[in-house]
Amino acid sequence: MIPQNFDYSAPQSLQEALSLVASGERKILAGGMSLIPMMKLRLAAPAEVVDLGRIPGLNAIAENGGFVEIGAMATHNTVETSPVLRASCPLLPEAAGHIGDAQVRNMGTLGGSIAHADPAADYPAALVALEAQIRLVSVHSDRTVEASEFFLDAFTTALEPGEIVVGVRVPVEGADEGYSYQKVAHPASGFAVVGVAVRLKRGAGRITMARIGVTGMSSHAFRDRAAEKLLEDGTPLERAAAIVGDGQEANSDLYASADYRRHLAKIHARRALAAALSRAS
Amino acid sequence: MKLSGSHTMAVPQDRAYALLKNPEVLARAMPGCESLVLVGEGEYAMKMKMVLASMSGLFDGRVRIADSNPPSSFRLIVEGKGKIGFMRGEGLLTLTPANGQPAPSAAAPAVPDDPPSTAPAGPPPSPPTVSGCLVQYDGEVQVGGTIAAVGQRLLDTTSRLLIRRFFEKLNSEAAAMSHFAA
Repeated sequence: MIPQNFDYSAPQSLQEALSLVASGERKILAGGMSLIPMMKLRLAAPAEVVDLGRIPGLNAIAENGGFVEIGAMATHNTVETSPVLRASCPLLPEAAGHIGDAQVRNMGTLGGSIAHADPAADYPAALVALEAQIRLVSVHSDRTVEASEFFLDAFTTALEPGEIVVGVRVPVEGADEGYSYQKVAHPASGFAVVGVAVRLKRGAGRITMARIGVTGMSSHAFRDRAAEKLLEDGTPLERAAAIVGDGQEANSDLYASADYRRHLAKIHARRALAAALSRAS
Repeated sequence: MKLSGSHTMAVPQDRAYALLKNPEVLARAMPGCESLVLVGEGEYAMKMKMVLASMSGLFDGRVRIADSNPPSSFRLIVEGKGKIGFMRGEGLLTLTPANGQPAPSAAAPAVPDDPPSTAPAGPPPSPPTVSGCLVQYDGEVQVGGTIAAVGQRLLDTTSRLLIRRFFEKLNSEAAAMSHFAA
């Protein structure tokens, strides 16, 4: 279908973009993989769209003092294939490789995906497991929010009107660390029915640090701190995986009931933990 | 699609019941509600603008309250229609006295100017400590049109998100009123 008429602007600098969106009324366009289909179906009809695609440097990826900084406009494909990320923070490229299909990965962006905050998106699981720092900028503010405090609810984030996600900072993977992202993809959409991202550190025959991020199961990605604690206290992996998702409300749809999603979260947590552990040695 | 769940409110049951049936309060608490006008006995016409993610749509609808059984239950029937789809839902809301503090936004003290009346058919009452109220809902919603065709995977999640927002707002309305009463 054809979208309703809308005004379009493509600012050439971040400053220009920030002043355009300052009122909070204009809609920000990143890769357009969620917004454009919605506009074509006329589920969304923004009067004005601000395209961030022409801003130079907003898709850069660089390592800097123990962290990798990723520009918000980096596409999923760029994240998946980035030599810097593959060497220094391979969990994120692994998650990016699971998103949608090749066409979506070529257009869709990291910043667009997290600002949209689909409850079944792949990145959020990896970002909460990485304790990523998300940088939000507006004309009069510049702040950083930790991923687990950024995703608040379905399609609801800590973003305020007038703010733009400009980049994400993730830690460089240390020695003895391992990672894994395990996902059940919906056969039609490719979205995660459930996706579990794990990052852990092994030392002296036990797990010394564990981070577990779950997407798709609940209304937003969450970290399972109870299961992380069990692992760090030396509980066997199977027993820790068996409590993943407990106490969380689970989504249900025609494809997967809430109980099935809960079950998948535990099974895939176990698989992701086992894979991460084998990579950590 | 079946929908059920429960939310805690920081006000006694009879006050919660009154809030849930007060059209002005409902209009403020329902996400996107632009107007709610009484059109007949227990029946209201409603205009809503739903904004969620990048989606937005105008809905025209009706809200009907039936089987009133104060202060413990009533049936809510909602119908809405817009360009992007339609919905029809019916649910039974049951109120029972309960303890427990809801969202921090509603942390203001509930002021029971008269002691909370205990529900006739509720769980074993413990009058001296009961200061809140548990609202349970159990119903069925049908959604159709474009919104259902493309958004099936998200209907359950977003319905519960909207219900959660409704109760959060209702709780802050209740807290504001308690301040006033104090």
